[in-house]
Amino acid sequence: MFVWRGDRPQVARLLAVLTFLAVLLPPFACSQFRTKGIVDLDGRAADPFRIAGGKVVVFLFVRTDCPISNRYAPAIQEMSSRYEKGAEFFLVYPVRSETTEQIRNHLKEYGYKLAALRDLDRGLVRASETRVTPEAAVYSPDGRLLYHGRIDDWYTEFGRSRQAPTTHELSSAVEAAIARKPVPVAAEPAVGCFLPVEP
Amino acid sequence: MVLGGLLGIALCLGAGGRNHAANERAAKAEQVTFNRDIAPILFHSCAPCHHPGEAGPFPLLGYDDAAKFARQIAYVTERRIMPPWLPAPGNLKFQGEMRLSDEEISSFRLWADEGAPRGDAKDLPPAPAFRSGWQLGKPDLILRARKPYILAAGGSDNYWNFIFPTEEKGTRWVKAIEIHPGEKRVVHHANILVDRLHSSRTQEKSPGDGFPGMELRIESQTFDPDSHFFFWKPGSVPHEESRGMALRLDPGDDLVLNTHLQPSGKPERIEPTLGLYFSDEPATKFPMLLELQNDLALDIPPGAAQFPVSDEFTITADVDLLAIYPHAHYLGKELRASAKLPDGTLETLIFIPRWDLNWQAVFYYAEPVFLPKGSVVSMQYLYDNSEANLANPFHPPQRVQGGNRTTDEMAHLWLQVLPRGTPEQQEEARRSLQESLARHDIARNPADFAAQYNLAAMLQVRGEISEALPHYRAAVQLRPHDAIANNALGGVLLAMGNPAEALEPLETAARSQPNYFPAHYNLGNAFASLGRFSDAIGEFQTAARLDPSDSMAEANWGAALVETGDLSAARKHLKRAVELDSKNEVARQNLGEVERRLSSAEKP
Repeated sequence: MFVWRGDRPQVARLLAVLTFLAVLLPPFACSQFRTKGIVDLDGRAADPFRIAGGKVVVFLFVRTDCPISNRYAPAIQEMSSRYEKGAEFFLVYPVRSETTEQIRNHLKEYGYKLAALRDLDRGLVRASETRVTPEAAVYSPDGRLLYHGRIDDWYTEFGRSRQAPTTHELSSAVEAAIARKPVPVAAEPAVGCFLPVEP
Repeated sequence: MVLGGLLGIALCLGAGGRNHAANERAAKAEQVTFNRDIAPILFHSCAPCHHPGEAGPFPLLGYDDAAKFARQIAYVTERRIMPPWLPAPGNLKFQGEMRLSDEEISSFRLWADEGAPRGDAKDLPPAPAFRSGWQLGKPDLILRARKPYILAAGGSDNYWNFIFPTEEKGTRWVKAIEIHPGEKRVVHHANILVDRLHSSRTQEKSPGDGFPGMELRIESQTFDPDSHFFFWKPGSVPHEESRGMALRLDPGDDLVLNTHLQPSGKPERIEPTLGLYFSDEPATKFPMLLELQNDLALDIPPGAAQFPVSDEFTITADVDLLAIYPHAHYLGKELRASAKLPDGTLETLIFIPRWDLNWQAVFYYAEPVFLPKGSVVSMQYLYDNSEANLANPFHPPQRVQGGNRTTDEMAHLWLQVLPRGTPEQQEEARRSLQESLARHDIARNPADFAAQYNLAAMLQVRGEISEALPHYRAAVQLRPHDAIANNALGGVLLAMGNPAEALEPLETAARSQPNYFPAHYNLGNAFASLGRFSDAIGEFQTAARLDPSDSMAEANWGAALVETGDLSAARKHLKRAVELDSKNEVARQNLGEVERRLSSAEKP
């Protein structure tokens, strides 16, 4: 049985959270999300689907300070080149407190050559059901979410990695999407750094 | 508004959960805040590694740092992934234990669940001040890697070894070595071995290059087992040996740094530096490393999830156990070491319920652990060669055997012990422990070259030459071209009055290592004993060239020349022998005799 016994400040804080979320919610529709809050590193609104020009769209959520997503940098870069004909890969930095300068340095340091976007309102995060970094999302050219989750099984537990991955969910999903076939699995939980709660 | 409706439910659940947590705590305390509750734990247990320049991949020095990772911190501490500390809590305590209490862990969880509240500014303790640079102060000697190693951006674990030659003028006594392994975020551990024979140098393509490899095999010539751990892992405080326990460093000794590196996603330049701290006092206490191991038993079929390997050893003297270093590779699952004391008490020395090679370490006991003579120390290790073991280097699993490569397995346990008693008793204890260890190793594996050779050398030192002989023979059989073993065998045969049989091993030794003085010197003696004086002269000549300061080589050279009748040449070498060592009685007597003969020959 549920008995409400929270003290006053507690209730006030919860109410504040409620209001806040309510404000954030409207930009989303069921399958077609809007591109509000998605900007490039110059702060200009960006529409990844338009940039992709009819190709499959792949988002890779990363942050500058997550050791797991950083370890994936060579693999992410390699995959984006491997599939460039059929899929457009974007790095997505969803942590608002990271500065554009930090992100640019990060791209340079890790040798990234693919396009980077910021997801200031976490619209992409929510639409892609992303929880951690690194996490991937594969969309059809018309904006349907086909796959979201881990890149592979290099990490299946926090703090423990295999010597090399034994499954390749992201590659399989991208290949299926390019071939316009159903993806083998629609989601596989990712292991990585939880996205921080940001005001 | 389907979406809105769903969210409404989610939030109601959230509110329920939150309120439940609040109710629980309302009973005992107020809200968990960063400033009052979290900061002290963070500063003490996380920040030592999580600050710039250290191993932690991001800083945890203040509210903003921690709030960004609040849920992550709660998650990894609940599972005891962080702070990384392998031993389960037990009866014996270690120095620098990095275990959080259950209460500390639940504080992290409550704080994260409440949205990481900051709290009252006046509650915030001062942030820790970390000293940059050398933690033990300015070192007496700084050694830098001669060539950096560039770690590739991607790929699996990597092991690289750096050789640091030392060129001190005289013998130094090293009380501590502070290891700065280079880019700490990618170095998982680093370990120093002393290489007095430069045996690692042969592995470098060119001097200073360094070389790959997970395990090091260091040859040692003298009966001088390395007895000190010099180990670095993230967060470790440099260890200073207690008074009188410094390590001897002779001029020209090499220090070899073995590093375990994990690629970070970008190329990393690894350029380690060592800071050596000397003591004015020569060592008076000599700890020993007792090594238990059973690599021969490691033959793990694919799929085996609980493969047991064990070893045990009876301690032959009263000792204090100072530190312990359990070691396995990627299939290690559960590592336990225990001691059964003579009174029947069973003491767990260390228990690692979930081995993780990435966090291996040398563990120093908070207080020395007394192990009376007759205690049986043992290791019981379990290995997991199934698919379920994430660290398994093979997919699908394959048969894995003991060996030095990353993909081989190991079952080792090192115990650093200090014998008790008077200096003489300690000396005797070290000898008996060494001998027992060698016998124990041979019993398990008669093909253990080092054990055969060491046992023979110990018996020889004790004067038990005929006991030593079969073990030298076994060593030579195992390594037929080893100069040191062949020379020792020849030497024993000579000493037993069998120069004819000594010839073959001595000639092999001189051939295998033409600049090895003892082989030529002994060979000269063997030839001389057989009456082959011109052959003997050739060997003494070589020996004297290899070590021009050796008085005995000159003396025997002179004696052999006497036998061939060349008295004036003999006089020259005997004189030289006496010049090199005025106390060389043999040379003196022979010189006197030669001069008498020469002067009587000059008389008409």
